[in-house]
Amino acid sequence: MVEPLGGQPTDIYSFAVYYFFWVALAIFAFGAVYRIAKLLLRWRHVVKAEPRRRGAGSAIVGLIRTFLDPVIFSAKTKPYDFLAGLVALHLLGVIPLIFLLAHHVAFFAYWFPPYRLVAKWGLWIPLSMTTSALEITSPIYPASTSFTNTVWGPLVVVLNGDLLALLAILGVAFKIGMKVLEQAHGLQHVRWSDYFSLGLLLFILVTGYAAARHHPPVGSETVDVATYRTLLGLHILGAEVLLAITPFSKFWHFVFGYWYGKLHEWYDVRLQKGLV
Amino acid sequence: MAAQLPPKVLEAVKEAFSKVDWEGFDRGRVEKAIGEILGKIDSVQLHYLEDCVGCAACAPACPYYVVGEEYGPVEKAEHARHIYRKEATILGMLLGPLLNARKPSKPEHLDMLVELVYRCTNCGACYLSCPFGIDSGAIIKGLLAPLVSKAGRIPVLMAVFEAVERYRVFMEIPALRQIWQDVMSKAEQALGKPLPYEQEGADYYLMVTLADAMFYPGAVIGAMRILDRAGLKWTLSREPLAFRPPIGAVVGFGDSAREVLGFVNEAIEKLRPKNVVLLDGGFVYPWMRFQLPKVLGRKPSYRVLHVTELVAQLLREGRLKLRQADDPVTWHDPCQLGRRAGVTKEPVEALRAASKGFRLLPHHGAESYCCGGGGGIGCLSMQMIEMMSKLLGVDPKMMLSGEKEKEFILKTQEAWSIAVKRKIDDIKKSGAKTVVTACPVCLHSIEGGAKLYGLDIRVVHFAEYIAERLA
Repeated sequence: MVEPLGGQPTDIYSFAVYYFFWVALAIFAFGAVYRIAKLLLRWRHVVKAEPRRRGAGSAIVGLIRTFLDPVIFSAKTKPYDFLAGLVALHLLGVIPLIFLLAHHVAFFAYWFPPYRLVAKWGLWIPLSMTTSALEITSPIYPASTSFTNTVWGPLVVVLNGDLLALLAILGVAFKIGMKVLEQAHGLQHVRWSDYFSLGLLLFILVTGYAAARHHPPVGSETVDVATYRTLLGLHILGAEVLLAITPFSKFWHFVFGYWYGKLHEWYDVRLQKGLV
Repeated sequence: MAAQLPPKVLEAVKEAFSKVDWEGFDRGRVEKAIGEILGKIDSVQLHYLEDCVGCAACAPACPYYVVGEEYGPVEKAEHARHIYRKEATILGMLLGPLLNARKPSKPEHLDMLVELVYRCTNCGACYLSCPFGIDSGAIIKGLLAPLVSKAGRIPVLMAVFEAVERYRVFMEIPALRQIWQDVMSKAEQALGKPLPYEQEGADYYLMVTLADAMFYPGAVIGAMRILDRAGLKWTLSREPLAFRPPIGAVVGFGDSAREVLGFVNEAIEKLRPKNVVLLDGGFVYPWMRFQLPKVLGRKPSYRVLHVTELVAQLLREGRLKLRQADDPVTWHDPCQLGRRAGVTKEPVEALRAASKGFRLLPHHGAESYCCGGGGGIGCLSMQMIEMMSKLLGVDPKMMLSGEKEKEFILKTQEAWSIAVKRKIDDIKKSGAKTVVTACPVCLHSIEGGAKLYGLDIRVVHFAEYIAERLA
């Protein structure tokens, strides 16, 4: 399936899938090693105080609270940001979209065969809640109004690419709006790179959505393959740029920063200091 | 002033004054400070600096966020990131403002930074509310505070007491010596016997600081009565080992903090106690309990515990009995003792035994609201400056470098008066008439806040409250 390097890319799609993929992966790998090496080189051995031993039960509860407390706090104190930023953008948006959308599962399983288990267990989610056919391009209307048959059953009303992409797009749009407002207030935590990161994410979501829906070229009602390949190619290229810049941007949080941060906090606050 | 202060105290005070500069911008000092601070960053601080995504989930947790959104944790900490990016990252050095990378270059920048430093109590609420486990207090107090202090923006009061503590000359100040001697004399009267000074190999060493004696003499005496009543083999030093160790930590002088803890430890280890009991639930506790091994490079030869931990243990073991009353009392968790150091259960256990009327504050334990006075903020009031000047025997004007510092202190006082309200409202909701706590700053802040917002409560140190109920 993969053309050997040295062949000519014929369009954005083949450039993204067969060439830039490797470039992005190499930059990501270099960046990840650099980021982690920097952290390891700064590690200092220190003599630690005697920890406050509260027992295994407290440790487990502490671990759960370490992950859960900020979510609950956010929901209580910043409900709109919580709904748009965490729920729409992350929990219903990018996380299920990236890891469970059928198209992505097929792609990941090609490169990482164990990922086929997601398909084998039927955990993947369809593009549409009512049909697995390409309903936009097809003249055939859905044969029935029942839900697409997946292991998720009626949850497919929410767990489908169409809706999740829209939620993710709304979440990103909300965040961009919030950043603009906050910057207008003179707040320092809004960084120029935030607009780039959020903009890139929006680009990936919109091109992915448009490709999946086989949008025709502007001014036409007929889909052609070239437009589809361009949209899909842009989507994949956008995702590859995101992959490449991950170690150098806020996206690092989902690879490392979030996990390390929470585990360190658990160790420091709940195990060492014994906060219950 | 020269005639009033003993020579060694004068030397310390002069050294302190030489560090203070509220007007200028000494580029050499600033660059040197930045170099020292960034050179010491470890993996954990690197994570705090680099893994922030700017979500600002931490903002509502901060007591000073309500004073102004520019005082949210991520807002304050971001200034450290500006400097880190400019100084320590390739892209930051190259692209500067495009990557929000910049260093202070004018006096106004230092003025802005010192204001932010003294809008952070290091309470740790931001740490627990951050989805990425970023401790903004560690950045603000660990990176920005040393920068502003070393660049000269250090309140005179704090510079003086840091030096006086490090030079170990606090007992040469007559008024402070008198305070100490009065408390020790009253303690002997209360116990009806001489105090067990300087006894080697005791089970418990009661570490009484000069600040303990100044701010809650009743608690010092109360703690001694508790130790005595429980029949413990205990001892204490004839003179305080330090003022409130380590004051250097509050202003970001890490070397001073290490030096002070070093000589405090040396004095304690000479007596070889098995346990050291602290009365102070402010920064003294986490520094002695958790930072001391890092400072010494080894574990100390003794266990460190707070008086609340000791009392809870004694009650559990049946070695202490209390007359249980039913007064409406509550416990305020000092942030340094509770959220920062994990002691939240023990005080509650003890106070439940002391009163059937005990109730928790709506926000308690890990979720306790900060009183707003920590991080040096509680010291920054004209009232405190006048009190400390009187104790030192100097004109209060000497404790201010000029109008600029005075305005800064008045603005800080005003900010505190807004920040403390959240705590006072929480106490009101509990219906408690007595607030028990264990930090001198919390005591002062809650008392002040209660007066300000018309709440008629008694605020008392844990050891004093428990001692009143000894059976």
